[in-house]
Amino acid sequence: MNRDPSPFRTASTASTATSPTPKYANLTASTNLRYSLTRKSIYDRHLNRTKTSELSKSAFAFLFGEMVQYAQKKVYGVQDLEKKLNLHGYAVGQRFLELLLWRDGRTAKRETRILGILQFISHQLYRAIFQKQADTLEKVRENEDEYMISDNDPVVNTYISVPKEMSQLNCGAFIAGIIEAVLDGHCFPAKVTAHTAPNEMWPGRTVFLIKFEPEVLEREALRVGS
Amino acid sequence: MVVYSFFIFDRHCECIYIRQWLNNTPSVAQPLSRPVTASSVATVATSVAEKPAPGSRLSMAEQAKLVFGVIFSLRNMVKKLCGPEDSFLCYRTGHYKLHYYETLSSLRFVMLTDIRTESLKSSLHQIYVNLYVEYVVKNPLSPVEHAGGEGVNNELFELGIDGFVRTID
Amino acid sequence: MLRHRQLPVHSLQSSIIIIIVISPRTADTSSLGLLIGIIITTMVVYAVLILNKAGGLIYQRDFNPGLQKLSSNDYLILAGTFHGVHAITSQISPTNETSSSGLEVLESENFVMRCFQTLTGTKFLIFAEPRQQNLDVVVRRVYELYADYVMKNPFYQIEMPIRSEGFDRHLTSYIKPHQ
Repeated sequence: MNRDPSPFRTASTASTATSPTPKYANLTASTNLRYSLTRKSIYDRHLNRTKTSELSKSAFAFLFGEMVQYAQKKVYGVQDLEKKLNLHGYAVGQRFLELLLWRDGRTAKRETRILGILQFISHQLYRAIFQKQADTLEKVRENEDEYMISDNDPVVNTYISVPKEMSQLNCGAFIAGIIEAVLDGHCFPAKVTAHTAPNEMWPGRTVFLIKFEPEVLEREALRVGS
Repeated sequence: MVVYSFFIFDRHCECIYIRQWLNNTPSVAQPLSRPVTASSVATVATSVAEKPAPGSRLSMAEQAKLVFGVIFSLRNMVKKLCGPEDSFLCYRTGHYKLHYYETLSSLRFVMLTDIRTESLKSSLHQIYVNLYVEYVVKNPLSPVEHAGGEGVNNELFELGIDGFVRTID
Repeated sequence: MLRHRQLPVHSLQSSIIIIIVISPRTADTSSLGLLIGIIITTMVVYAVLILNKAGGLIYQRDFNPGLQKLSSNDYLILAGTFHGVHAITSQISPTNETSSSGLEVLESENFVMRCFQTLTGTKFLIFAEPRQQNLDVVVRRVYELYADYVMKNPFYQIEMPIRSEGFDRHLTSYIKPHQ
């Protein structure tokens, strides 16, 4: 069987997966998670099937915790760790954006303005992932190229208590990575970082600082001018 | 209420009296069965009895040592946590309850019962006042110290305990 | 004279009965949570201790005055002692059951202590005012908070002392200092 590592798996390659290779032939359906009882692989399922399904928060917390521990083993400092988490998030964001736009179907549109894309992130994207909107969306007054999206209680940080010696760390860097990937996917290259900004009500409040590359502002200026 | 066993420890931390009421049937099957009285069971008194009692995993002498270790540690722990005037009254596990009473002369009375029993602090005090003082301390033939349980193990005291256990049932 | 029996006075003395009536139509979990919260606040918890499976003290926190102040070393000794005592209390079971749980409730003149041992061997000790009835609820909730904010924290090392700000915060808001 042709095991093509190409990520662009078409319907035809997916259908070959339904006819099991000899290696799987002697296994019962229950021993192999990839194949359901109907002998259909997860690739055969409709992508909308999981649109409204929910995930156990505990399962996610344990998985995310393992991810943070794994990343921690391979880095030298807090900044390095945040970068690593950001990269993990980036990979998720790239794929998720594709799925989100595909699910929107004909109504999907490509945002071309800074405000539009930021609203897309704080509303649609946030709701698709966390079932809620981001809490605020602001512009940084001092800097023309910086925006802030804040989340009062990020899901990834629910059970995380950062030790004192790493007080700079915010594991929301993972979400920052997702946001960065979505911005990149819309051709708004930017740097996104996560910062802890607690207030009395929300001790775990996190602000995602978005700093656009200069060419984005240049393009925006041209559009406004025309 | 079921009384399983009764211990007295003197001020030298020595066990001077053991009394066990045996349940021949597992207590789960008949949790409310009355303790069997002196006439029908082998009552084993004093630490001389070294042979393991049937139905029990530990011999009574060994059990007495463990019981003393526990009450000694818990008593010290409670005194440390709550000051020297506090004392612990009882503890409960999933299967039994241990009641504890200490006199000012450092005599320690311990009774093991089932878990539904209410606090026996005053009952143990009654045993001390009405049985121990009456039949052991006031007994002219009994020595002052009871090494090996000598003197505690007299007939009047035995009968008194048996009668008492039946009344608090 | 020997027939004297002590009346269970304490069960009459301090019984606060709160009856919650919720019709199924208006059943609202948040208001139920609030009511349970009110019931809990009527109790005074002195301290919470957590012991790991080897008997080491991994968490100690005082909530209300009532117990003596001990040095951290004394607490470590106390935890070790209790660990041993707990093991012995399961040994001296007078009944015929082969497996017996260790000490669960300890009562003294001035406090009551509830010990809960998880299936993994971790022990939770709750010290409270004497004659508290609903300590089981408290201990379950503390276990739940431990499972959430300690065990799900990627920066916590198993069996090591707990330094988790989230756990502290949630524990405080659950066991508020008694006014």
